[in-house]
Amino acid sequence: MSDELLVVKDLTTTFTTNSGPLTAVGGVSFTLGQNETLGIVGESGSGKTVLSRTIMGLQPRRNVTVTGSAIINGFEVVGASEKAKRQIWGTEVAMVFQDPMTSLNPVMRIGQQIDESLRVRLGMDRASAKARSIELLELVGIPSPVERYNSYPGHLSGGMRQRVVIATALACSPKLLMADEPTTGLDVTIQAQILNLLDELKDRLKMSVILVTHDLGVVATRTSRIVVMYAGRIVEIGDTRDVFYHHRMPYTRALLESSPKVSNHSHTRLQTIPGRPPNLMKLADGCSFAPRCAYATDQCHNVRPTLQAADETGHYFACWNPLPSNRGVRAP
Amino acid sequence: MLKYVTRRLALLIGIVFIISVGSFYLIHLLPGDPAVVILGTGASPAAKAALFAQLGLDKPIYLQYFTWIGNVVRGNMGTSFISQSSVAGTIRAALPIDLEIIVLSQILAFIFAIPMAMRSARKPDGVIDRILGASSFTLLSVPPFIIIVLLVLIVSIKLGIPHTGPSSYVTLASDPVGNLESLALPAITLATGSFVVYYRVLRSDLIATLQEEFITMARSKGISQRRIMWRHAFRPSSVALLGAASVNIGGLLASGFVVQYLLAIPGLGYTLISAINMSDFLLVQGIVLTVSVGVVVINFLFDFIINIVDPRISRE
Repeated sequence: MSDELLVVKDLTTTFTTNSGPLTAVGGVSFTLGQNETLGIVGESGSGKTVLSRTIMGLQPRRNVTVTGSAIINGFEVVGASEKAKRQIWGTEVAMVFQDPMTSLNPVMRIGQQIDESLRVRLGMDRASAKARSIELLELVGIPSPVERYNSYPGHLSGGMRQRVVIATALACSPKLLMADEPTTGLDVTIQAQILNLLDELKDRLKMSVILVTHDLGVVATRTSRIVVMYAGRIVEIGDTRDVFYHHRMPYTRALLESSPKVSNHSHTRLQTIPGRPPNLMKLADGCSFAPRCAYATDQCHNVRPTLQAADETGHYFACWNPLPSNRGVRAP
Repeated sequence: MLKYVTRRLALLIGIVFIISVGSFYLIHLLPGDPAVVILGTGASPAAKAALFAQLGLDKPIYLQYFTWIGNVVRGNMGTSFISQSSVAGTIRAALPIDLEIIVLSQILAFIFAIPMAMRSARKPDGVIDRILGASSFTLLSVPPFIIIVLLVLIVSIKLGIPHTGPSSYVTLASDPVGNLESLALPAITLATGSFVVYYRVLRSDLIATLQEEFITMARSKGISQRRIMWRHAFRPSSVALLGAASVNIGGLLASGFVVQYLLAIPGLGYTLISAINMSDFLLVQGIVLTVSVGVVVINFLFDFIINIVDPRISRE
């Protein structure tokens, strides 16, 4: 095998619902190298969260079908039993959840929640687990970690709780950290702190990170590559620079134009993407973005485009009428 | 936490006061004349007046209350005119039987309800959940007096294991086996009703808790399903369970007379019915007061436990 830490191939997640099957993630493939950060961006409902959970096998246990392949450090997650997956959860791959207000157990002390991984997964005794937990709390920048060890989550602010969530995720030194919208529930000022912390820890602990977000500003400076998702599929993938400056998929451009820029004049009206994300229950045969796309043709409505290579290496997009390549036209 | 406890304690004292006034006044509401009960129907007015003065019944009612409550606090609930025995003594002899039946029944109810609720919650609407749900519902629809009759029929008559009556009742200290033998049937009967409530309450709360994000996070740590259930889901799901237990145990204390009466077990409920039948008002009053205070104290204790289990409650 290659030196890739994560190889995702044709990963598909289908929920069985009362009104029929719902494909939340459809045929996603990409790879992630050691110590690399990959951004997954898309609107709400584009399948980012389901994708990140499916990659580590953390999808709900009932009424879900997963096909394809996701190999984390040689371990095939798809089709693995819950018992087998427990062996890699925490130690190979861990997740930082979106909302720190709901992802910590409200009736367990913070220390217990971190200790648990150390004691159950690493077999540490009570005293060394406690010492290590306090170390971890210190690592993620929690003031007076010894006192905080005995606090309940309700005693902490959102930013502090998210640091606890990160400490818990890091407890067993995972090689891959999945961060699912780690700052969405937090104040803007706290967001940067948490993202910088993740960046710093990634280098310090030699991890790979998948950063899932709807905010392109978050991934711009922190990722080496970006996956753009729409309606559960990858519509564009490439190096961060290429996706930002040489994107070919109209959806990527619409997404970029709808994020605020510091260089904008004040009172600049923010661009919005007309229409709504499609209903995943009623996906048409063609490109899912076609109903909202200014360039859509009959072909777009009837035949789904597959990923095709752009000029740059490792840059792919799925579009029948791509934006013209501006390679060499506009220097970044 | 301390503030919360103090506030609840103040409330407790207030409620106990109201109960004591209520049970004191109860005597005055009951039909019957103490003079007739003690002296018979043919007593002269002078003899009646003398008796009233001797008993303090000629004094204003609030003074009578304070005299009475002062005695009650010191453990003296008076002497029954009917049996000539101390009311407090009678209650002291009967109460442990009620408590033991309740404790046994609750242990049984929890031992079955908790693992079964967990089993159901793992796959809601699965085969096991449906079977458990249907059988618990059936159990709920059978009233305790039917259950006890069926139990006696099966255990005592068909299987030939005798259950003991009031004459052969033995205390736990003197004969543990005989004691458990005589209390097993009432305990099982009371356990069935409690079990159904606990199973259903815990099942639905567990199902809700298992949807929570912190359960997914616990799962992502790579810990076992069993540990997730017991360490992460059970505690936040048990608040309603404890609330139900609190109400239920109070109810059992107040309504234990059905099984006690049917099996002739000399607990508080049995004693109460005999006291009512014999117009032993002082004993009725003593039992009513004891049971009411018991219910309030149990509720208070459970409030306290719920607070420890879920620290979010007292924090507001």
